[in-house]
Amino acid sequence: MQKGPASPEIKAKILEYLAKVQKAKSRDVAVAIGEKKGDVDNAVKELTAEDLVEYLYITTTYICLKGKVQTPNG
Amino acid sequence: MAAKLDQGPPNYKEMLPPIILDNYGKWKYHEIPRSGVLKHVSESGAALFSVRVATPRLVSIDFIRDVCALADEFCDGFLRWTTRNNIEFLLSDEAKVNPLIETLVAKGFAVGGTGAAISNIIHTQGWVHCHTPATDASGVVKAVMDDLYEYFESMKLPAKLKMGLACCLNMCGSTHCSDIGIVGVHRTPPRIDHDKIRKGTEIPSLVASCPTGAIRPDPKNKSVVVNEEKCMYCGNCYTMSPAMEIYDARNDGIAILIGGKVSNARSAPSFSRMVIPFLPNNAPRWPEVTEAIRAILELWIANADKGERLGEWVERIGWERFFALSGLPFSDMLIDDYIFARETFRTGAAFKY
Amino acid sequence: MTEKKTPLLDELEKGKWPSFVTEIKRAAVKSAASAELLQVLERSYEERRGHWKHGGIVGVRGYGGGVIGRYVDEPETYPNIAEFHTVRINQPSGFFYNTKTLRTICDLWEKHGSGLTNMHGSTGDIILLGCKTEHIQPIFDDYSEAGFDLGGSGSCLRTTNCCVGPGRCEYACYDTLEACYNITNEFMDELHRPMWPYKSKIKFSGCANDCTGAIARSDISVIGTWRDTIRIDQDAVKEYAANKFPIQSQVCDKCPTGCLTYNNETQELAVIAEDCTRCHHCINLMPKAIQAGKEKGATILVGGKSTIVQSAFMSSVVIPFMKMDVEDDFEEFKDTVRRIWEWWDENGKTRERIGETIFRLGMGKFLREAEIPIVPQQVFRPRANPYVFWAQEDLDKSGTALDGTAL
Repeated sequence: MQKGPASPEIKAKILEYLAKVQKAKSRDVAVAIGEKKGDVDNAVKELTAEDLVEYLYITTTYICLKGKVQTPNG
Repeated sequence: MAAKLDQGPPNYKEMLPPIILDNYGKWKYHEIPRSGVLKHVSESGAALFSVRVATPRLVSIDFIRDVCALADEFCDGFLRWTTRNNIEFLLSDEAKVNPLIETLVAKGFAVGGTGAAISNIIHTQGWVHCHTPATDASGVVKAVMDDLYEYFESMKLPAKLKMGLACCLNMCGSTHCSDIGIVGVHRTPPRIDHDKIRKGTEIPSLVASCPTGAIRPDPKNKSVVVNEEKCMYCGNCYTMSPAMEIYDARNDGIAILIGGKVSNARSAPSFSRMVIPFLPNNAPRWPEVTEAIRAILELWIANADKGERLGEWVERIGWERFFALSGLPFSDMLIDDYIFARETFRTGAAFKY
Repeated sequence: MTEKKTPLLDELEKGKWPSFVTEIKRAAVKSAASAELLQVLERSYEERRGHWKHGGIVGVRGYGGGVIGRYVDEPETYPNIAEFHTVRINQPSGFFYNTKTLRTICDLWEKHGSGLTNMHGSTGDIILLGCKTEHIQPIFDDYSEAGFDLGGSGSCLRTTNCCVGPGRCEYACYDTLEACYNITNEFMDELHRPMWPYKSKIKFSGCANDCTGAIARSDISVIGTWRDTIRIDQDAVKEYAANKFPIQSQVCDKCPTGCLTYNNETQELAVIAEDCTRCHHCINLMPKAIQAGKEKGATILVGGKSTIVQSAFMSSVVIPFMKMDVEDDFEEFKDTVRRIWEWWDENGKTRERIGETIFRLGMGKFLREAEIPIVPQQVFRPRANPYVFWAQEDLDKSGTALDGTAL
């Protein structure tokens, strides 16, 4: 997938949206912020590399702000 | 130091012994000179010997190191695993085959699993590491394979027999398409710890985690309710929240399914079908399970044609005959009432007794 | 460390089959976590229940999978396994190893974790069983340095897997080892950054015997086949006859289409090419005399999965024959799976595998929208009802509506 760098505006919108929820599927984020899912996925890739967002695997994979969701013994 | 991202798996080409590099894609035929040994012959006349041994799948690093020492001594350091968790020592020198087998046997390794034999049981984590197990995995496998060991080290079955074990009814592994599938079953809905839910569970996610829509929010209680008639006991809600305990020591146990296969040879690939809905979790040796499987196996050995897989035999004689011959009770629990049930109903007036 | 008793587990060190209990005990000599695992497991055997909780963490920076979070339910009693996570390391194609590679895996795992492994997980990965959260990133850094990468977990392309293929099998109709390696490397984003409704698996089997169980255990099943006719070596047939091999009863009589005939006089086999379904039975029984045709490739099937949620599905045929050539870099396959995934990502509901999405929305819609040619090989038989969802824009709508206006 050669997509090039993600749009800074989309990245900012994702962070803003994730601040309002506990966790979300990337498609729901795309719908909520009105962007294409592929662009959101690409932005999430960068945001996770920057340690701002992390993936969570609980029955399916969600994304959330880094550290927002507690571990079961946390 | 930052890790390299996305470099992919190690290149298999670096793992292949010289005889394979020389004869890659040129293999002509193979034979099974004795149980546990495969001989592959190339167009060039070169012969590669694979000596197959069982592993318990759950192995320590010291076990792997022991195996490496043997591979260095006999195989110039080359070996592989199979999809069924066996190890195959790869030898290009026939003279080393018997000395390797003697060494393996002396060290307590189980050599076999080739041809018309039982191979290793594909299995899951069970009580060792799974969070929703209805039974253990490794322990049941150990008990069953101890009992059927003679059929691993010989090739006297009508055909090959592949078994799988899944420790709950999510059926990880290959139980849904095995000659014999051993499936851990929960039989009671989750128990809700309302305090735990109020403390930290995100209710919409918990509601969404249920595949059958059996969980509903209970706003008055700031918790959820479970519609017990809809619950299929999969434990997905426990994955989402530890407040939904699915284990139930008194009611968890094992179901037996038979007759699955994935090969296209002769007949189409098929799913395994339930023949025993429940057996107790009688740890540590599961005698009811080992006895039930042995009885099915012996019935197949006594009645099948040569080369006939377990499911092919049952389909030939008819499932109603299988129940008559096996003496296994047939009950409503064995009649499908899930989504695709209709395709299992007999829509004709021809059958046996 | 005080010696604690495990009488129930000790029962599972008896008998001839190799014992996992012995293996945990070996690891427990060096690892306090493995020693505690033994205690928890003994308790599970007494109480007949598990003691683990799932957690959503996936661990390493830049990836969305490869680590499964696992926590014991009584962290105060078992502090060494309060966190006991699984790390998935992507295995080499065909599970081939040299001992140097295996020793590296062991040494790194001894440094960071419990010393327990699964060789291998059901999907194919090398499973490292049990480490603390703080060790996950260092584990990945060290394995990465040594040339390994993580496998998949979560709603991603899961670690792909293949049979032994041309490395050691005369049946292989395409290079499964290279296909698995090449295609895994192509889809690194899909493997490491879960973005889909749910998981998706690919398994590569070199022939219809399907030793990876691709048809039942993967969403995209790549099963080797050929387009022309089996090749028969009549001299080799005569050798089987000379060795009293029961050609008629074991081979011809069991051929599902009856396309093979054996002439007892001439000791020759003949095939009716157009009747053969390439099931592989005759080749399995007479590998020295019968082999696949020359025009080799693979059948692509889609939708296989186990029981959760809507029952187990077998994959079904979408492309009867596709060339799987190393020389073309598997381009046709890669393009096709991209279209298939794109359709599923667009249409699938959360936690719906592609087979379930196709079942819900219709195979016809899937094939049309993923631009896959529609052919009779895709079904056993056509529909038995007249409920076709006609594309209205293709129909003749000239005429008059009930209110008299022109349409």
